[in-house]
Amino acid sequence: MVRSRTGRVANVTTVMAAVVALAACTAGGGGGGASGGDEGDGGAGENGAASGGTLTVSTSFVINSLDPGQVYEATGALAVHAMYETLVTFSGSDVSTPEPLLAESWEANADSTEFTFNLRDDAVFADGSPVEAEDVVFSINRLNNLSGSPSVTVEGLSASSPEEGVVVVSSDEPNPSVPTILAMPAAGVLNAEIAAENGATDSEDAASEDSATPFLDQTSAGSGPYVLGSFDPASEVVLEANPEYWGEAPGFDRIVIKNVDAQNQKLAIERSPGAEIALDLSGRLLDGLDSSLQTSGAQDTFYFVTLHQDPEVSEVTSNPDFIKALRASMDYEGIAALFGQDALPAAGMVPPAFPGALPDSETKSQDLDAARDHLDASGLEDPSVSLMYPAITYRGVDLGTIATKVQNDAAEAGITIELDPQPIAAFLDAQSAGRVAFRFSPQSLNYPVASSLVNNFAPGQPSAMRSGWSAELASPEMIAAGEAVQEALDPEAQDTAMQEWQRLLDEESPFITLAYNSGVVVATPDLAGVEYSPAGWQVDLRSVRRS
Amino acid sequence: MTTVILLFGVTVLTFSLIQLVPGDSMTASLSETALNDPAVVSAYRDKWGLDEPVTTQYAIYLGNLLQGDLGISRQTSRPVLGDLMTYVPATLEIAIPAMILSVLLGTGIGLYAALRHGRVGDQVVRVGSLLGLSTPPFWLALVTLYVFFYVLGLAPSGGRLSSWITPPPTRTGMLTVDALLAGQWMTWWDAVQHLLLPVAVLTCLTVATLVRFVRSAMLEVLDQDYVRAARAKGLPTATVLRRHVLRAGLVPVITVSGLAFASLLSGTVLVEQIFSWPGVGQYAFRAASGLDLPAVLGVSLFVAVVYTLVNLMVDLLYGVIDPRIRLS
Repeated sequence: MVRSRTGRVANVTTVMAAVVALAACTAGGGGGGASGGDEGDGGAGENGAASGGTLTVSTSFVINSLDPGQVYEATGALAVHAMYETLVTFSGSDVSTPEPLLAESWEANADSTEFTFNLRDDAVFADGSPVEAEDVVFSINRLNNLSGSPSVTVEGLSASSPEEGVVVVSSDEPNPSVPTILAMPAAGVLNAEIAAENGATDSEDAASEDSATPFLDQTSAGSGPYVLGSFDPASEVVLEANPEYWGEAPGFDRIVIKNVDAQNQKLAIERSPGAEIALDLSGRLLDGLDSSLQTSGAQDTFYFVTLHQDPEVSEVTSNPDFIKALRASMDYEGIAALFGQDALPAAGMVPPAFPGALPDSETKSQDLDAARDHLDASGLEDPSVSLMYPAITYRGVDLGTIATKVQNDAAEAGITIELDPQPIAAFLDAQSAGRVAFRFSPQSLNYPVASSLVNNFAPGQPSAMRSGWSAELASPEMIAAGEAVQEALDPEAQDTAMQEWQRLLDEESPFITLAYNSGVVVATPDLAGVEYSPAGWQVDLRSVRRS
Repeated sequence: MTTVILLFGVTVLTFSLIQLVPGDSMTASLSETALNDPAVVSAYRDKWGLDEPVTTQYAIYLGNLLQGDLGISRQTSRPVLGDLMTYVPATLEIAIPAMILSVLLGTGIGLYAALRHGRVGDQVVRVGSLLGLSTPPFWLALVTLYVFFYVLGLAPSGGRLSSWITPPPTRTGMLTVDALLAGQWMTWWDAVQHLLLPVAVLTCLTVATLVRFVRSAMLEVLDQDYVRAARAKGLPTATVLRRHVLRAGLVPVITVSGLAFASLLSGTVLVEQIFSWPGVGQYAFRAASGLDLPAVLGVSLFVAVVYTLVNLMVDLLYGVIDPRIRLS
């Protein structure tokens, strides 16, 4: 009896051990070659897979919606750019020369207030219907009237169609950047008929009347090479090849954009059987990365501190000599080193990825003697100030590490800084209220045009006003420099004006740019066309193929 | 009635507390540039009723709640109820096997330690459970992932399914069950493989607690006169253990198991985060980070319901295990 029971236990144990061993043996091996898209009963093969297979894109999700009219976060822009096409676009990492996409040509009037786009006649939506001027007009006007986060980029723009195949985009102010703005994923062209049938409207009351977002979060209505398969904001976005695509056939049958923690992206891509991209491996996470993997990046983000100019908020931060002392005390080289191999010490506010950046020769450096002189001139004795920053890791870098370095550098000049890390929501709220004496944060451009910074950071503009920097506090030269940027219609003239504006910013603004950091795309060696884009979509999934 | 009062209290408390948190969902949802635009700010406040007094907002929420409407998540723009229906099954899929394994292992190991009280086996179990209790969940999850995925290649890296596998048609939301129902064996096997590491980590964390409770409960029972009497009568050890020790000792163990199960269901944020597991924990974290009030309230209500149901189950199990409770 005892032996029989023991025997049963032994048998059960053996079976369980066999199951566990089988699981262990096959679990990790599942990846081998499976991205070819030919996996068994539940695989892509069931959906009529072609040779492209599956591309896996790992990223730490920042996404709310896949409605082009609502998209402004990185993950949303990445997916929307593959499903919706814009009038113009950019190739690879270049953001200086818009290229034709739905528009085969365009021209601007003399004062850059009116842009005429001529549409190509062979583009079709995923349902086979042609892309027409009405669709473009509907999409741009809807984006504007939705009054969502991305709407601010097209503020002051309106679209109309004077004739078939032609779209005219008008700007309230002279704006040579209109083609660049219209290359952003938010300006993706919707199939107006399908969108309207599902609650979309481009009327002026679209902010309250448009109800298409839930539909567009489940079904795409664009003309891009991929269509939406499924969307779960917590775990994955699945894109499927658009069989009706009018251009070159997409490179993959499916693209699965997965929500993966940055640390795990590194582990996963180093063990990947192929066809995989990781989007959050920047900074120190790139150290020791397998050399067979390909990387592409561009310095497109700047990190800066802001000092409030209102003496009622802080007598210390509003003191011009204190700002100069702090500026001189920073070890810019050392700060950049903390970000990792792809970071650079700052020169001006515009990161090197964009035209209008200051040359390397103007990179700032630490000058502790000058810092102490400025501090003496400030009349402040043993100044102490609290530095608020969001307690997050951004692009692989813990902002607390950078804030601590700022604290130590300032201490060398006799300035005491107390660190005040805040949850991101609390930081954004305090920043929005405009009463933070001293804060540190990263910043990217809304769209890849350096002059967009002038709209925000010039004295009297919204971001400047949050630090109390009104036009009255700025010198006439500073004001004039900002106006020169806005008035320059020629790209080269605008870049020159932008550089001059930054030099003045460095002399008298309450902003101290510390370093530039890169966005980086890491890909398995079997992929081609993987290039980081500072345009907002990070990598153009449309152009990624097997090499 | 108690449950209704409890749920009402949860809504009042959560609604009030979230008003005290600095910041609101607008600053967390809109871009910085958009926050500079009064038209965008006004449209957002209008859309989500943020200009209404807090009491009015709460009254509207309560009115909708009574009709089964948990509101729309400000982050996902989808009904909170729908979101919960998506994420709860994912959590259930790892919580249920983890709990079953924990109870089986916890009871077995705890009983073993009690029977070998003071000997080497007992000491090993005590040290092991202490290690389990003092191990941070995120550390264990990271190490497990590193060793079994990265070094040994024995398990997938995370998520619920490999990228190249198309999910089965949704019926229960639990991929292993849905794949079985659809007869997709390879999908089922892939889903099972993805369960291994998160379930193993959750089991390790839960079993450590259970072992200590089972051990001390069993030690107490083993010392009772009626157990000594049963042994003195010459009953086989297995019978004594099954009939007299386990039944009596399991009452406190069930209480702890119930709480542990409720804890697993209400979200294991770090484990879900590390294994890219889209469950309730990740949803709750995302909602709290974005100050997404309807979603936070929805998760709070879910957690309250889970604890209520688990307590009910625990009460019923008491009656099954101990006739004195049933009779009283």
